Amino acid sequence: MACRSHWEVVPEARLDLDSDEPTFFDRHEWETIEAATARIIPTDHDPGAREAKVVRFIDRYLSSVDHVYASADGAGFLRLDGIMADAWAGHLDRMRQVYRDGVRTLDELAGDHHGQPFAALSDEQQDAVLERLSGADRPVPITSALAGGHAYGASLQSDLGLDFFPALCLHTRQGFYGDPVYGGNHEQVGWQVIGFPGPPSLAATQTCTYSVYHLLVADRDWADLVPHVREQALAKDPA
Amino acid sequence: MQVSKPDPVDVVVVGVGASGGTAAKVLSEAGLKVVGLERGPFMNHREQFSGDELKYLNRGYIAPNHDLNPRTYRNSADEEAELYPFSPCPQLVGGGTIHWAGWFPRPLPCDFQMRSLHGDVEGASLADWPIGYDDLEPYFTKVEWEFGCSGLEGANKFEAPRSQGFPTPPLAPTAFAVRFYDACARMGLNAFPLPMALVTEPHKGRDTHNHTGFWNQYGDPTTMKSTTLTSFVPEALATGNFELRPDCYVREVTLGPDGKANGVIYVDGDGNEVHQEAGVVILCQGAIETARLLLLSQSDRFPEGLANSSGLVGRNATFHEFVFSVGLFDKETEPLYGYSGAFVSGATFEFYETDESRGHIGGGVVAASQTAQPINWMLPGRPAWGSALKDADRDYFNHAMVLGLCLQDLPQHDNRVDLDPTVRDAWGLPVARITHKPHANDLAMSRWQVEKNAEILREAGATATLPVNLERCTGNTCHQHGTARMGTDPSQSVVDAWCAAHDVDNLYVLDGSVFPTSTGVNPTLTIMANAWRCSEHIADVHARGGDQTLAATGGSNHGL
Repeated sequence: MACRSHWEVVPEARLDLDSDEPTFFDRHEWETIEAATARIIPTDHDPGAREAKVVRFIDRYLSSVDHVYASADGAGFLRLDGIMADAWAGHLDRMRQVYRDGVRTLDELAGDHHGQPFAALSDEQQDAVLERLSGADRPVPITSALAGGHAYGASLQSDLGLDFFPALCLHTRQGFYGDPVYGGNHEQVGWQVIGFPGPPSLAATQTCTYSVYHLLVADRDWADLVPHVREQALAKDPA
Repeated sequence: MQVSKPDPVDVVVVGVGASGGTAAKVLSEAGLKVVGLERGPFMNHREQFSGDELKYLNRGYIAPNHDLNPRTYRNSADEEAELYPFSPCPQLVGGGTIHWAGWFPRPLPCDFQMRSLHGDVEGASLADWPIGYDDLEPYFTKVEWEFGCSGLEGANKFEAPRSQGFPTPPLAPTAFAVRFYDACARMGLNAFPLPMALVTEPHKGRDTHNHTGFWNQYGDPTTMKSTTLTSFVPEALATGNFELRPDCYVREVTLGPDGKANGVIYVDGDGNEVHQEAGVVILCQGAIETARLLLLSQSDRFPEGLANSSGLVGRNATFHEFVFSVGLFDKETEPLYGYSGAFVSGATFEFYETDESRGHIGGGVVAASQTAQPINWMLPGRPAWGSALKDADRDYFNHAMVLGLCLQDLPQHDNRVDLDPTVRDAWGLPVARITHKPHANDLAMSRWQVEKNAEILREAGATATLPVNLERCTGNTCHQHGTARMGTDPSQSVVDAWCAAHDVDNLYVLDGSVFPTSTGVNPTLTIMANAWRCSEHIADVHARGGDQTLAATGGSNHGL
């Protein structure tokens, strides 16, 4: 059994990462999830989840354990092995069922209240379905929702145990902002929308040719930033 | 199953992270034959680490896997524990030093004397450490220079005396740190560049060029970040006295007929069971898994778990919840670039020592940090979906900063790690169950400091602040302490001042388990300094043929 440090890299070419063909969803599921992600991160004067190909990201994630971890340089994906592969396979099985059931629920809510499948509804109608699905009104701007404290959970944001809607919201974020090697964030549109420079490739973060060093503030010296340093220097040498 | 028995060695170290890596280095350099058992893999940092946010922060590439290594959590003993990835410290060679940002401050003398300073605090189980700042000072210096760090001597006006400065200067401040420094100066607060476990100038042949900003929670493909994987472990291996066995899962510490520990039983990566005998057994798995292993190691002599005659193994657990305020700044102002630098940049000890006018005792390090990368950037109360979500990300991703506190939770007898009665891991062993309920002092400290941080952020120019207070402990720092506390009285502690078990004198615990109180700083420097100190002692004892009779150190504390 190969442990994590010896997982083989499956080269990108063998995985056909540029393809837009569904590998897990059927055509209807693909269109439904694509429509839902486009309401989670909508297109406005900037690209949204649709342009970032978030549905492709989700489809690829659900397809097999061969798309869980990119290799460090992004030239391919790690082939999981042994009990770790089994654990991920079990997790993805559960997540696939969550999505299969989720698409059905979206269509049921759409049919019951608007008489058509979810993907055929207008933006407003789709938002109304998502309100029903989430059991809450559509979120208000953050500046209107500042009162009170906020819970903030674990340092790692996994999708373990999530129901369909929170999983869909999390995966949409991941597909919009994650490294493009995973099939979303197409042409880095997610990063451009929020002004994240982002590396040209994972390889550039491995070699560190990608750098944000220039964003540090180099023209303030410590005696200026930390008055205590200046005071100590003065105490030692009043001149 | 056939249990294989390799040749006995002088020392077996269980867990090769911050403390285990330190013990391996010190003992192998002293000439002892050491085997290190690590349940995770031995990764090649250059080939296997990079800045992939999804892989590290969402898919847990180096974290314990939820299905294979689950944990359970509950708020109090009358609740049913639920599956929860509490304190998911990485499992691989290097341990927590792989994913950490590298906050590397020294504690203050007061940290070792919480009981003397505050007496009986209702509901808490405060205890003094049997050692003090002065006992650790030479070892802080050794670790700072051997492991590598950056800092600016004299910048923290609250720091206790140090015998040497820092091996390398601080990284230049981030844009958000400059806001913090300037606000603190206007408020008369002493802010300083936090000592960090990274090198900014050539030191021991190290790299200095990871400026990707993919820092906290990521493995570093260079050697700029100080990790035991890239420093102490290779140094130990170079002695020829250290054998590292990764992917080995220790399930029991074994006891000989003489009542001494005589080795450990583990399952290797191919499923083979191995009994590694050793003259000394050292536990370095972190305060959760070390307590679990002791509790799993039951025998006629120790039916309640090894070295547990006090009943304190697993108790008095503390976890340092990270609480914070996020400041939002006007999008028309200069960007703060919350993904730049090495996560944390700028800190203060102004709120560290007790000031009872604040309504709580204790305190800790407060620091300005990144909001980090796009998927998971720290925006509490983020709208879940729709244009509100998109606008929040677009307007504030470059215009937000975090000012946080490692919350020094008070030890409590009932906050503990024990064995879950129903949930088992992939090896069929009961998992660690964490029971933790915040003390009233923890809640008060959180409320006061989070509001104070908001005040500093407003002075820095924030137009709105988002408070994140302690509600329940989530283990979000991966700091773990207290489950095998150090002390002189065997009825009130698990290990002595050299971190040898009172009940089993050749069994040592060198990780954060031994902390009687959690201190106001990130624990790793203190853990490593203490591991170095005790490893020298272990080597001394070995040199004298195993005679353990050495007087405990005094409790000398500078300035107290």
